Amino acid sequence: MNFTAMWSSNLILRSSRYLLALGFIALVTAFLFTLREVLNTALVALLYLIPLGLITAFWGLGPGLTSAFLTFLTFNYFFIQPYYRFTVHRPTDVVILVIFLIVAIVISQLVGRMQSSLAAATAREREATQLYELSTALAGLHDRHTIAEILAKQVQDISHGEAVELNITGMDAFDFRMPELDQPTRPPEWVIPIQVARGVLGEIRLWRAGPALTSSEKRLLQTFASQGALALERARLAQAESRARVLEESDHLKSVLLSSVSHELRTPLSTIKAAASSLRSDDVHWDSAARPELIAAIDDEADHLNMLVGNLLDMSRIESGALKPKRDWNILSEIVSSVLVRMKHLAVEHRVEVDMPESLPLVPVDFVQMEQVFTNLVSNSVKYAPEKTVIRISAFVEGETIHVIVRNQGPQVPQEHLEKIFDKFFRITAADRVTGTGLGLSICKGIIEAHGGRLWAENVTDGLAFNFTLPLIWEGVSSPKLPMDTETE
Amino acid sequence: MSNAPHILVIDDEPQIQRAIKTILTEKGFKVTTASSGEQGLTLAAANEPDIVILDLGLPDMDGVDVCMRLREWTQCPIIILSVRDSEHDKVTALDKGADDYLTKPFGIEELLARVRVALRHSAGRLGTQSKIIHAGSLMIDLAWHIVKRGDEEIKLTATEYKLLAYLAANHGRVLTHQSILTNVWDAADADHTEYLRVYMRQLRKKLETDPERPQYILTEPGIGYRFIADE
Repeated sequence: MNFTAMWSSNLILRSSRYLLALGFIALVTAFLFTLREVLNTALVALLYLIPLGLITAFWGLGPGLTSAFLTFLTFNYFFIQPYYRFTVHRPTDVVILVIFLIVAIVISQLVGRMQSSLAAATAREREATQLYELSTALAGLHDRHTIAEILAKQVQDISHGEAVELNITGMDAFDFRMPELDQPTRPPEWVIPIQVARGVLGEIRLWRAGPALTSSEKRLLQTFASQGALALERARLAQAESRARVLEESDHLKSVLLSSVSHELRTPLSTIKAAASSLRSDDVHWDSAARPELIAAIDDEADHLNMLVGNLLDMSRIESGALKPKRDWNILSEIVSSVLVRMKHLAVEHRVEVDMPESLPLVPVDFVQMEQVFTNLVSNSVKYAPEKTVIRISAFVEGETIHVIVRNQGPQVPQEHLEKIFDKFFRITAADRVTGTGLGLSICKGIIEAHGGRLWAENVTDGLAFNFTLPLIWEGVSSPKLPMDTETE
Repeated sequence: MSNAPHILVIDDEPQIQRAIKTILTEKGFKVTTASSGEQGLTLAAANEPDIVILDLGLPDMDGVDVCMRLREWTQCPIIILSVRDSEHDKVTALDKGADDYLTKPFGIEELLARVRVALRHSAGRLGTQSKIIHAGSLMIDLAWHIVKRGDEEIKLTATEYKLLAYLAANHGRVLTHQSILTNVWDAADADHTEYLRVYMRQLRKKLETDPERPQYILTEPGIGYRFIADE
């Protein structure tokens, strides 16, 4: 709203009150004048007090006092003998006149003061309401931009300013403007700092033409600014707290990880140490049957230790987001056969069947990482499924993804654990009964997800099936078709 | 034993140096050790070793740089030692002239096998390389372009044969995708590993008894392929 217009309309309103008061007095005087012969002077004086009270009540102290003096004159002029003169003959009339003037002024004053204190109370109530609205709007907000937006809106509402701008300083400084466009080019009329105990968080700049801010408006704006400051500070503290909580949690996880890791690392180390030291001592004779066994133990446990360290490295890469697949168009069955060749010593007690049709398209994956996924899924199956059972790897195309299933005939996993088995160090069986790192499946999940796929486990009729999907589209391109030559040498 | 092959080991870890030196000396090699890239280069220039075993993580310089500096003047086989998870570094070193790689930790049998392959290939450079390669029941005659399993001849397409011939001629050595693609196809196709994947599948289907568990053409994950022939 244009403040100048409002201000001039205010002036018209105020002068019209005086005119109304004068009109009312004239009307009452005319009415009393017709009854002059039947009323005595004292009664007229009393009757005159009624409109005076009403005028002050309706139109304020100014018109009331003005009317008081005016009625004093009309009373004297029209109703006290001699008529039509401002002179008084009878001493009683003098007394009436004086008392009338005093009473008229006192009534006006009293009524007027009541009125203005009522107005002040209303204003105070409005301020309180606005303040209440602001603090409810700000309560529970943790986003600094939203806080700034609400604060700016409310400041504009109460000040009727043309424009409001909030400059929030600090770590991630920003400005908020209302309205966004058409900012006045002149300097703001009023700048209120947003301040908390530890310093200034920013300032509110207000543009408003017309009269200067009243002291109550200033006071209200100051209160708004400090409310805003509190909300901003609260948001900052909440942020800091949640950051601290995240750190604490990750710290806790790290220490769990560390204790678990040191346990896992010490197990193969103890075997190595025991075997090596007994080979070194004279306890084990040169041609003792225990010799090759001890040597094999050292060799196996060293491999185990190596795998553990590798898994830990992968896990930390996955967690820090550093695991970026180096994709290439690959043949899934080649990855699987590379895994089977490597695992031939580990998977001797199980039969691994591969069912991957040659018609499968090339898949955009990181060979080494996918090899690890298959290695982990197969070795998990080898670990848990009974000997002489079948581990079956199959794949099929499903729309724009490839769906792979690694299925074993091992024990089923309780429904509530089907997701948890992909958590770090989660084990259904006691840790000392099964060798491993407790990281294999979570690494698989990390790798599959880094490829934009999904990995899950489900119970099937005779065992457990690991399922994963991988997108066949890579950077908007689908599997390449290849030039083939069929001509023989 | 002045004719014993001379091996230079460049690795900054004393334990690894000690282990390799002990075992290789035991096997009849003459071993020199260096614990930094500079020292290694100096010793290589002074002694002209038959084989260099080179660790990629050296304190003073990158193993790949050592490899390149060596290649400026010598063709002696270089076997890379590196920790797991550095496929990229391994491939770079191989493409920059290294002959083979071993991942730490490694079994000593593997190391000895690589050393033997390296020595054979460096002898091959002098023209004594055999033109007929046997691998299990397979026979590949590189001079006459014939591939046989037992008595039965295997029909290959032109590209398949080129691919097999390149692998077989370098049997025992790891060949990077890039080197295969540039040698069998051409340099412009060096990025198209998918060609390689598809042809490799065809080739395995024709050669391997169980293509799902190949025994002649092995995949070196993230690096390339290796053809395994009879020693």
